Amino acid sequence: MRDRLRHEMEEIFRNVFGDQQLVLRDDMTANDVEGWDSLAHINLMIAVEKRFGVRFATAEISRLKGDGQTVGRLLDLVEQKKRA
Amino acid sequence: MSICSVEWIVLLMFGSVVIFLVPSLILRQGLLALCNFGFLASMVPDVAAWVTLIVFLTSGYLAARLLQAFPRRSVLLAYLVALILCFIVIKQYAFIKPVLPATIASHVVVVVGLSYMLFRQIHLVVDAFQGQVKGLPLWSYLNYQLNLFGLMAGPIQRYEDFSHDWNRLLPLFHDFQSVTKAYLRVFIGVIKIMLLAPPCLEVYEAFARTFLDLATPWKAVVKFALLLYLYPAYIYLNFSGYCDMVIAGASLVGLKMPENFNLPFLSRNMIDFWTRWHRTLGFWIRDYLFNPLYKGMVERWPGKALWLGLACYFIALFVAGLWHGSTWNFVIFAMLNGVGVAGAKCWEIYLIRVIGRQGFKKYLQSRTIGVAAIVANFHFVCLTVAFFPADLKRTWGIFKHVAELTL
Repeated sequence: MRDRLRHEMEEIFRNVFGDQQLVLRDDMTANDVEGWDSLAHINLMIAVEKRFGVRFATAEISRLKGDGQTVGRLLDLVEQKKRA
Repeated sequence: MSICSVEWIVLLMFGSVVIFLVPSLILRQGLLALCNFGFLASMVPDVAAWVTLIVFLTSGYLAARLLQAFPRRSVLLAYLVALILCFIVIKQYAFIKPVLPATIASHVVVVVGLSYMLFRQIHLVVDAFQGQVKGLPLWSYLNYQLNLFGLMAGPIQRYEDFSHDWNRLLPLFHDFQSVTKAYLRVFIGVIKIMLLAPPCLEVYEAFARTFLDLATPWKAVVKFALLLYLYPAYIYLNFSGYCDMVIAGASLVGLKMPENFNLPFLSRNMIDFWTRWHRTLGFWIRDYLFNPLYKGMVERWPGKALWLGLACYFIALFVAGLWHGSTWNFVIFAMLNGVGVAGAKCWEIYLIRVIGRQGFKKYLQSRTIGVAAIVANFHFVCLTVAFFPADLKRTWGIFKHVAELTL
């Protein structure tokens, strides 16, 4: 389940950041992905919402790019929202 | 009571010792609430201000509770529109004053910290609507909005972060060195506000008053440069000094406030600047204005993401600039900030198109380009801050005079 989710998320990341070589790890942060700025973050959130049929709150969008937040946390949140 | 007064500092020193001797949480909260109320009472000038404050706070609390129970978008939007319109009327913005009825325009209501309360209120109702605020006791809400450490000029804190500390009120420091550091920071704040900032303002005022009398170009250029640097220096020393005092002061009574400054004059561009200068405002604007605006627009017009992004950068920083004051000079300040951030994004997009992502990475790593970018951005910041003083006629006069003498 988690691997499939990560694989789908990887596709989204590759499209949003225009890097077909990008490999996602749970411990990756916004600093590890080139071009992950405020604008790209929203594009990423929109793509994730669309793909997984979930909706992020304003505070969640902000937190997901905050200090210490990782790709793993994004995957957790998507998993949690899909279950709800 | 001024934040730099002896009374305030004595009260802080006394309070920071006494509060942790009180055994129960409710009594510690009560003690802090008493200080919050006392500080507020010393700042509210008249009955009209009290009434405005009570209506403002009650409406925010009721709206947040209503949205927690019934999360309706229409209710949220109606409340936000009403709240912002009331704020604009209370602040009597220059652009709205001509259309205000004379009875309202003649009544000036001054509520200390209202602009900051507005940010906290909007954050709270939006988060309540989106299910991000769990529980909201009136007691916590009032102390969140009226927290004496953030009342006058922030930092803008999230309710959840405040609530986390408020529901414990335990010492944040467990060693003597950390406590000493916090006290030291309070005194550094006092030095910045009382000793370093005032001379900058005094010299600025003296130069600005006599600037139009200058007849020699080189003297005009030197004084113009000093004018350009002195006002940002004054604002930085004053505001960062205030933040040093309130952040360190709050930490001594068990409240962790967010930092507001991170070497702002070393920013490479205006986007970077707003993540280093008045950071809590910059982050609020990003989270509650830029993000929803851009997201809403891109979802509707996905093919125009780039242009919409630039427009949203401009709008967000224009609003942030405009919030700083109600007079026309702040409209120019706001425009310059909007142009600055949108321009920075344009430049980044242009560079990535021309030299590619790898080339852009090298561009960012270049020390020479980095220094040049910092110097250029510093001067742009100084240019925007030149429009901070309310006397727009004098500011224009200074720019015109230096241009006439040198061009």
